[in-house]
Amino acid sequence: MTSVMETRPKKTRAGTRSIRPLARGDRPVEPVIFEKSVPGQRAVDLPPLDVPRVDLPPELIGAPVELPEVGQHDVMTHYTHLSQRNFSVDGNFYPLGSCTMKHNPRINEWAAALDGFAQLHPLQDDDQIQGALRLLYETRCFLQEIAGLDEVSLQPAAGAHGEFTGLKVIRAYFKDIGQPQRHIVLVPDSAHGTNPASCTMCACHAVTVKTAHGYTDLDDLRRLVNEHGANTIAAFMITNPNTAGLFDAKICEAADIMHDAGALLYLDGANMNAILGKTRPGEFGTDVMHFNTHKTFSTPHGCGGPGAGPIAVGDKLAPYLPGPQVMMAEDGSFYFDRDRPKSIGKVRSFSSQFGVLVRCWAYIAACGPDGLRNVAEKAVLSANYLAARLCNVYEMPYFDPQKGRFCAHEFVTVPKSLLGKGVSLNDIAKRMVDYDIHPPTMHWPLRDCLMVEPTDTESKRTLDHFVDVMLQIAQEIERDPKALAEAPTDAPIRRADEVAAARNPVLVWDG
Amino acid sequence: MDYTQITPDEQSAMLEVIGAEGIEQLFTAIPKEIRFNDTLDLPPAMSELQLKRELAEMAAHNHGPHDMVCFMGGGAYDHFCPVLIDQLAGRGEFLTAYTPYQAEASQGSLQAFFEFQTQVARLTGLDIANASLYEGATAVAEAVLMALHHSGKRRVLVASTLHPDYRAVLRTYLQDLPGDLVELPAEGGRIAAQTVRRELDDEAACVVIQSPNVWGLIEDWDGCFGAAHERDGVCAIAVFNPIACALLRKPGECSADIAAGEGQPLGVPLSLGGPYLGLFAAADQFMRKMPGRLIGRTTDAEGRAAYCLTLQTREQHIRGAKATSNICTNQGLLALRATMFMTVMGKHGLREMAQQCYHKAHYLAEQITALDGYALKFDGPFFDEFCVTCPKPATQIIEAAKRRRILAGIAPHGRRMGRIGDENDLLIAVTEQRTKHEMDALVEVLEEFAT
Repeated sequence: MTSVMETRPKKTRAGTRSIRPLARGDRPVEPVIFEKSVPGQRAVDLPPLDVPRVDLPPELIGAPVELPEVGQHDVMTHYTHLSQRNFSVDGNFYPLGSCTMKHNPRINEWAAALDGFAQLHPLQDDDQIQGALRLLYETRCFLQEIAGLDEVSLQPAAGAHGEFTGLKVIRAYFKDIGQPQRHIVLVPDSAHGTNPASCTMCACHAVTVKTAHGYTDLDDLRRLVNEHGANTIAAFMITNPNTAGLFDAKICEAADIMHDAGALLYLDGANMNAILGKTRPGEFGTDVMHFNTHKTFSTPHGCGGPGAGPIAVGDKLAPYLPGPQVMMAEDGSFYFDRDRPKSIGKVRSFSSQFGVLVRCWAYIAACGPDGLRNVAEKAVLSANYLAARLCNVYEMPYFDPQKGRFCAHEFVTVPKSLLGKGVSLNDIAKRMVDYDIHPPTMHWPLRDCLMVEPTDTESKRTLDHFVDVMLQIAQEIERDPKALAEAPTDAPIRRADEVAAARNPVLVWDG
Repeated sequence: MDYTQITPDEQSAMLEVIGAEGIEQLFTAIPKEIRFNDTLDLPPAMSELQLKRELAEMAAHNHGPHDMVCFMGGGAYDHFCPVLIDQLAGRGEFLTAYTPYQAEASQGSLQAFFEFQTQVARLTGLDIANASLYEGATAVAEAVLMALHHSGKRRVLVASTLHPDYRAVLRTYLQDLPGDLVELPAEGGRIAAQTVRRELDDEAACVVIQSPNVWGLIEDWDGCFGAAHERDGVCAIAVFNPIACALLRKPGECSADIAAGEGQPLGVPLSLGGPYLGLFAAADQFMRKMPGRLIGRTTDAEGRAAYCLTLQTREQHIRGAKATSNICTNQGLLALRATMFMTVMGKHGLREMAQQCYHKAHYLAEQITALDGYALKFDGPFFDEFCVTCPKPATQIIEAAKRRRILAGIAPHGRRMGRIGDENDLLIAVTEQRTKHEMDALVEVLEEFAT
């Protein structure tokens, strides 16, 4: 552990500092907050107790919690320094495929922080929260319209939680119609890892469907239905546009195969950004889908969350949605309906990621119907532009504009010829960090691939800069491939030893 | 306004580079039959000024702890939150980053989550903690799934005094899995160690007990978990309140193996129930079975301290159907708020906050029970929340208090609380924010109903 005193210049005898300019890659390690603790320091105080003290039985009292003791200014500098050691959408191009790292409008933050939204207790009576219920009800309607489906539940906390909820709804539906044996969920080999993991949590058996040339192999889908027996299949779970960045045009056929087997089509809506207003999942046979508001509807990713994963379903599945459901009464007032006898029950405490949904409402309202369609167009345009400019150097298995094979909102590249020169994919990604660009998603859905998603909100200038950087990295590889193994050289740290971290896990500070 | 930045001229130039004739050509993969050629039936786009008006108007139609005095708890509490947390957590470098997959580009959030894990482990008195789950109820469900997986057994003993939403979520999670929920009956609002002992058998995987429980009562974790451990391999799961942990005996001090709870009291706004923060801690032996992200401390190529996601082979993006959980996106920004909150309050500040809650709640309980017709429903020890039986239905009292701009508490008999308790029960929570003056005002309202 490098202490702050070792890495910062020391005072000279004369009391002057010998100041050394610090390049970013030469920054001192930020000590953990516990190392900055000074007994007796306080960052904030409470007013004196204004009621008499009462005895607390000693057998109930626990030992003090060893939290740090730090003054207010040092708290500010600590977290400010930490923030400066992060890449973010605000500060960097962040083309992390499948995550849709678009601009996060600040009006949304302003709205969610309004006292009239942020300071509501979840168990208050409906008559006190009519504005909030209206916002939830309208969000529900917006999402129903965008999905082209009949009813939305706003409860799930994130995409994976939406998958869990959607699969539970499917299970409940089949149980209710006397087909509880349907427990097999078909999942493409290119699916998000959450898909099979959600199946397991719902006691569904995830069976892998092959993809060929980036698309679901429908013959394999048919074969699996026959092999397992149509009456054991619960659903086919597909992402469309899929994780290879392609819209699967045979989606209706896949839906027909499911429906003919008496099964359902689940759409993972992670890539809705590419089709907003262009097509609707309800139009291509979707029975259940989830949204990721933090992807499609600009709610911030917050270092990993919170998200929200509302699900949309067709009429026949609506009775099984989790409660409570936000409703509009005949007199135009709003209420939470808790009387849903066929509901799967609760999937979380209280009712929703309300604060996230405020931002989601604000985004959809800002865009309007034409704006949402434009979002899809710009997302797809930007991805195709990057792909077109890079495809001669970074090979792309599915992109060939001359043959009319465009990508959707993201593309994958497997840069074989560069990798053949003795660099690893990781070297390329880490070198991007030196250029202030967050590396794309790696090794998924293909081995040795980068998945690049520029989103709809980047300027052409940023896109061109990215191309320049990627071409320059390619030149660096031509010149001296070994040098890339050193990357990053100009980041808050050099390459982290992830192998050591997993071999000897240190998950808490023991100082 | 849709926030895109590419101009029509730039679009033409870009299409030319792509070799497409128009933007529609890029969408030809979507078959004509399923193209949506209509306009979505949504309100027309709004400018920022219109949005501000519209949102402010909707917000103004809500009343709550911001313009009333709040004595509501029931799993979400109106605690003080220092202003600097909004300032720091609102920094774009935190707000607009994502899961720290790339360690070299994410040292800030990684170190903050490492500090968070340490604080949660210390708060619960357990060895390790993860970097957050969605919220309290799903955190408890994940704890139970981990215990089932760990033990290979199927009976889940759950206190009937666990929050009704949490029990409902557990029912949903276990519905299709090999796991049987058994509810432990309460005596005097609490679970007796003897009850745990009686219900244990060879198929018992875990015992789940919340303290303070849904009635605000402090449970006998020591006795109950001691009883649980009389049988090999039974996991003791403590459902905790983080503020109470700063004063009362912690899960780890009472021999819990796993602790799960709601982190909302740690600087997370009430926000009508979400987004909140699932806290999850456990003994070392569960390290490789934990759900969710774990941050590890390591070194970089120059030997300097560095942080990264670790033990990812537990997770869905590596392990798929065999992952320990399906969770991907967690509650990063709220974990960040909580870690800042714990730092700002500090060792003594958080304990003092808990003490004030305790003393104030007991002051109010004493004032109320001095009124004719009011009594504590149970006589067990409580922390910052307690249930009184009133001379009239709680809903009548709540309505009367509303007119005085007071949120008097929660009627546990109502649908929102799963109809536990009786019509005349009123569940009252008191945080450090409540003043003597505010409490006396509530007592005045209750006095109007005294017999």
